[in-house]
Amino acid sequence: MTTTVRNFRQTARIALDDIRLQNALDGATGRFRKERDQALQELPDAEALRDHFKVVRDATLADLGAHLREFESNALKAGAHVHWASDAAAAREVILAIARRNGVRKIVKSKSMAAEEIELNAALEGAGFEVIETDLGERIVQLAGEPPSHIIAPAIHKTKEQVAELFQAESGEPAPAEIQALTEIARRRLRQVFLQADLGISGGNLAVAETGSLVLVSNEGNARMVTSLPRIHIALIGIEKIAPTWDAAAVWLSLLARSATGQPLSIYTSILTGPRRPDDVDGPEEVHIVLLDNGRSRLVGTKFEEALQCIRCGACLNACPVYREAGGHAYASPYSGPIGAVISPLLFGLKEYEALPHASTLCGACLEVCPVRIDLPRMLIALRQASVSVGLPSGNEVRAFRSAAWILAKPARLKWVRWLLRVLQTPFKRGSRVLILGFNLPALAATPFRNWQRKHGRR
Amino acid sequence: MKDITAVQPTSSTVALFATCMVDQFLPEAGIATTRLLERFGVQVEFPQSQTCCGQPFFNSGHRPEAIARVKATIASLESYEAVVLPSGSCSAMIKVEYSHLLEEDPGWKLRAENLSQRTFELSEFLAVWNASTAPRSPGTRTQLSATYHDSCHMCRLLGLRSQPRQALAATGVELLEMAEPDRCCGFGGSFSIRMPEIARAMGVEKLHQAERSGAQVLVTADPGCLLHLRQCADSQDGRPPLLGIEHLASVLEERTR
Amino acid sequence: MNSDREQILNRLSRRAIVPDLPAGWSSRRRFEDLAGRFEHALQAARGEVYRVGSLEQAAGKIASIFEQAGVERVVCNREPVVVEIGVSLVRSGFELTFPGEAVDFRSACAGAQAGLTAAVAGLVETGTLVLHGGPGCSRLVSLLPAIHIAVLASSQFTGDLFTWTSRRAGKMPAATTLISGPSKTADIEQTMTIGMHGPKRLIVILIEE
Repeated sequence: MTTTVRNFRQTARIALDDIRLQNALDGATGRFRKERDQALQELPDAEALRDHFKVVRDATLADLGAHLREFESNALKAGAHVHWASDAAAAREVILAIARRNGVRKIVKSKSMAAEEIELNAALEGAGFEVIETDLGERIVQLAGEPPSHIIAPAIHKTKEQVAELFQAESGEPAPAEIQALTEIARRRLRQVFLQADLGISGGNLAVAETGSLVLVSNEGNARMVTSLPRIHIALIGIEKIAPTWDAAAVWLSLLARSATGQPLSIYTSILTGPRRPDDVDGPEEVHIVLLDNGRSRLVGTKFEEALQCIRCGACLNACPVYREAGGHAYASPYSGPIGAVISPLLFGLKEYEALPHASTLCGACLEVCPVRIDLPRMLIALRQASVSVGLPSGNEVRAFRSAAWILAKPARLKWVRWLLRVLQTPFKRGSRVLILGFNLPALAATPFRNWQRKHGRR
Repeated sequence: MKDITAVQPTSSTVALFATCMVDQFLPEAGIATTRLLERFGVQVEFPQSQTCCGQPFFNSGHRPEAIARVKATIASLESYEAVVLPSGSCSAMIKVEYSHLLEEDPGWKLRAENLSQRTFELSEFLAVWNASTAPRSPGTRTQLSATYHDSCHMCRLLGLRSQPRQALAATGVELLEMAEPDRCCGFGGSFSIRMPEIARAMGVEKLHQAERSGAQVLVTADPGCLLHLRQCADSQDGRPPLLGIEHLASVLEERTR
Repeated sequence: MNSDREQILNRLSRRAIVPDLPAGWSSRRRFEDLAGRFEHALQAARGEVYRVGSLEQAAGKIASIFEQAGVERVVCNREPVVVEIGVSLVRSGFELTFPGEAVDFRSACAGAQAGLTAAVAGLVETGTLVLHGGPGCSRLVSLLPAIHIAVLASSQFTGDLFTWTSRRAGKMPAATTLISGPSKTADIEQTMTIGMHGPKRLIVILIEE
């Protein structure tokens, strides 16, 4: 199903009419924005740091192949397995094969956008494995059978009453609609699952080529559990998430949590380099890192390469006035908001996501807050151009723009067309607006300004 | 952001680029701009060959149509020492996007860059114009409190936030800031036609914030924002809007008579 | 047929002009009152900091925290300062388990009410503890029990993350964890709750000599 403008509007309308969701969106995004601003102000040189980060990300992508090879070499030296997945199907196959080979039954997952992208849970469940999300927000939407609606706050659209119902339905035990109690219930139930799981699947916030290390950040501690308790750990990470050096990684980490939630660092930053060593007390015996391409490599060297600099902090979602009204579900993609509007068409198809480049007023708030200064408005316009080039807009739309261009090419033309439109608009005029064919447009003024100028001024 | 501040105008004759929105839908803003500039000792000329700066085509991805408008606009305006616009977004189009769109044609690109340097949004122009020619203000001015909406391209692409506020304050307007002055109003050109419910929700949010500021009037330097916000105010459950919605030029002109 | 690896690397052909990676970020944050900054930053994340003057005082403080919290069973990392403090804690009647002692150390961690560790470093700017996993140092001691107590000496302070990463050399352990507070979540109605999967309390005993 393609995300047409009609679909987008339909889903957005549901969000617009949901007062509670609107309050939740406003509250959460407002808080994240304020805290992000404060966290950056606390740094003595946030702007210079962002500039530096941009140069690092740009240089990294320019030679991504070399950095990936270095990462692989160091990860292998540390005892990890490294798999390369050209597309979603290949990634799913690799992960299923590991699960089957090891007689896995119960799988715990920590939050991973890449896993959403390849629809991993459905594939694992289809193959008979039990998959339990452990990030509280992800677990809630998993129980509800819904997609997450925000990169950082997946269950932003759920009330505590709804959460209590979900927990009750799952366990059969009564669950009070009280936040502290619900958290305690989740902690207890998921603790059992962590201890029983034979496979942990995580994403990766970044991977450091210099030492072959994977870095995961979390506030809940579930990423630590998933990567320490089960015997096998699989990490799925997009190929663009490479930091060549530890210095680059430090810049990345300094900006990631600050931009996402305003924290100087997330509560937990796990730096994982290979499986447990022989003398280690604990840790997974096997570590598999799956490097996911799925359309990313095609963007390198193009005018859309910049979109790969994204570190998935969510700051653009919190700043976007369209996202803040429409919510995440309207985008129908694991990636919503401004970055989603750009990479969903790029990775998954312009036709499949034709509405998304238009789900923006090009206000530029996203660019203002992006830690890597990704010029999303520029790419949104470029995607709109691409849409026109491949013939996506309707015939009516194309004719409308072409006609407008023709009319505006000569003032004399403008004059008589205007006269015609003034006549035609009369029956549809409502005050200062014109209601026609379902559109609400401004009404043409009685006398255009140029006429007044001709009388009043020179030339 | 590359430095795109315009150079100090040397001549007292400016070309007024009204913009298609002002020309066709909001002539009063053009009239106010002309009278205001003349009051400041500026000779205003209106090259009648002008129509549209090309922004609607550019923003919608119709690049060839945009480039046609860009070249025509440059040809209309480049013989003037200074060009003034009553629109932040169209000013940004000329000052920021024109040279990018003509990247592949060095001759045109240079002409675009030259024009950029001599193009001013209205309050930007007023800020650099020699104020010794300013008219004597009337003895007492009527009290007016206003809240100013920072239109997106004007504040983010051009960095013009203090200039419109200073222009208002200079006429004795009391400025009351709303919670998020630079939050997009939802117009976005074709966005308001393509996704009207979302555009309306954004406009209504802006109006609520403006009302909460306690100001008597909401002022914007962008005709697109203005028309969109007036429409949102009109359709708000039949109740009359709590505050006026005016173009910067209209307010300034009225208060300097 | 090309493997996925080959396909991906072929698509990633090097750009004609590859900009150099910039020189490292050179600015470092400096603080006059290291302990004060560390304390402030960790408390902002709802961590607790107790400042003591000696190892003996540290042991005493830990014992009193355990008493107040009703802790009986503790799991510990085999680190010199923890071993030493452990001796007096055992004398006070607490049940301590070190790696290698229990048949199933993981279950000991799951059943303990507190975990006791030292730390490799303390990042002052962000109120962060750096812990390595490795021989004698379990990943679970600072993760499973509801209370995690870390003993840190003020001589272990490092200014900021950049300082720590720039001093990093040699082989990485399999697991290094940066801990900046007790676990938390705000996933239900955006209301912050302390204590999600990881410890509900993070306590730093800061020994200032």
